[in-house]
Amino acid sequence: MSEKKYTKDHEWVSIENEIATIGISNHAQESLGDIVFIELPSVGNSVKAKDEICVIESVKAASDIYAPIDGEIIEVNNNLENDAAIINQDAENEGWIFKMKISDSNQYSELMSEDEYKQFLEQ
Amino acid sequence: MPINYKTGIINEHKNVRNHSGIFDVSHMGQILIENNESYLHKLEKYIPLQLKKLIKNRSHYSFLLNKDGGVIDDLIISNIDIKDKSYLYIVYNASRKKEDEEIFISCAPNAEKIYKKNCLFAIQGPDSINVLKNIIDIPNNMKFFDILISKYDNNEIIVSRSGYTGEDGFELSIPNESAENLITHLLKNENTMLCGLGSRDSLRLEAGLSLYGHELNEKITPIEAGLSWALDKERLEDENLNGNEVLSDQLKNTLSNKKIGLISTSKSMLRDGMTLFDNNKNEIGKITSGCFSPNLNKSIAIGYIISEFNTGNPIFCEIRKKLELVKINNLPFVKKNYKKNGSIYE
Repeated sequence: MSEKKYTKDHEWVSIENEIATIGISNHAQESLGDIVFIELPSVGNSVKAKDEICVIESVKAASDIYAPIDGEIIEVNNNLENDAAIINQDAENEGWIFKMKISDSNQYSELMSEDEYKQFLEQ
Repeated sequence: MPINYKTGIINEHKNVRNHSGIFDVSHMGQILIENNESYLHKLEKYIPLQLKKLIKNRSHYSFLLNKDGGVIDDLIISNIDIKDKSYLYIVYNASRKKEDEEIFISCAPNAEKIYKKNCLFAIQGPDSINVLKNIIDIPNNMKFFDILISKYDNNEIIVSRSGYTGEDGFELSIPNESAENLITHLLKNENTMLCGLGSRDSLRLEAGLSLYGHELNEKITPIEAGLSWALDKERLEDENLNGNEVLSDQLKNTLSNKKIGLISTSKSMLRDGMTLFDNNKNEIGKITSGCFSPNLNKSIAIGYIISEFNTGNPIFCEIRKKLELVKINNLPFVKKNYKKNGSIYE
């Protein structure tokens, strides 16, 4: 698996064989608080980077999740349907949200590394 | 007061329902007004109670009303003696300090705002009495909405059996210099914890309690808000009371809107400001408060709909541009657990 990268919207992306796995960062999970529901994206949809593709509801607020890069949604984490709190427990592993077949790997390279994301959070 | 402490809103919420939790509500307004006939008469223009007849050591839920009977604020007013002097002690919303204090000072120029020197803590939940009774002297027969002066660290503190969660509990007004000691002392009990604004909101919503700025504002009367029980009906005949004619008329006639409780039928969250529709996509009302209910494991809400709507018909809520079916639920969503009794006047 490739290095994990991050977006300014607090999503993480990792890539293996042109398949990207996407979730929200641990920082995002902490600031959302208890997550009670996630509206998962539809498998088969082709999306562009920055498209709103699903919604996370926490006890505090609803937050949009954006596609970090262009591609087609090929799988969603159905475990979250019954227990969205998995994201609170393990946002960056078991709490993955969806997988995409990506069309442009340059978009991935442009995302922030873990160190860059940490710096971004401190700003 | 933060939204939540380390363990999160849901955990804090459940701890209050099952054990107890402590809220630092020192942001709220607290004022002492001398129990003087001329002051009370002036205050009776705004407050729909017979202030001269309030029983000593009891609290009452009431309002400040504007000329149209709209709610300037909702508040708790109590009659207590402090150092042998009789006072009205009023606790009011932080967001309405400016409006309320203008009225209090105009009625009683020497009214004393005590929130600068006193913190206000609420301990809520079925175990509150057990956590508190070893620390502060609480008489056995103290009931819901009783209020008295007790002592902590040799300081006088105001203790009332009240709160904003639907549970049994107490509110403590304590001089700043003793506040930290008291909190540390209470937290030695390992079943209690600090709770934030998030659980305060979900607890009060489950209990069907109104929040100023949501269910209540200057354009809504207590009757429209379903709170006519808190009005003294004799005062509605009194021309000295703001909005008395509007309120009397509303009691006799059908209102244009009614307050309802709603439960989501999906996992979507109902939130403040969402619009409600009937079967034919006609707008019938709005949600004024919504949250996730940890007790029901579903989203719940309070809102207003037009009175002519037949509540036997389906209601839909617009959530992210989709209409979702919601169910009407009687308020409160969770049964109140007060230690209740007592009449309001002597």
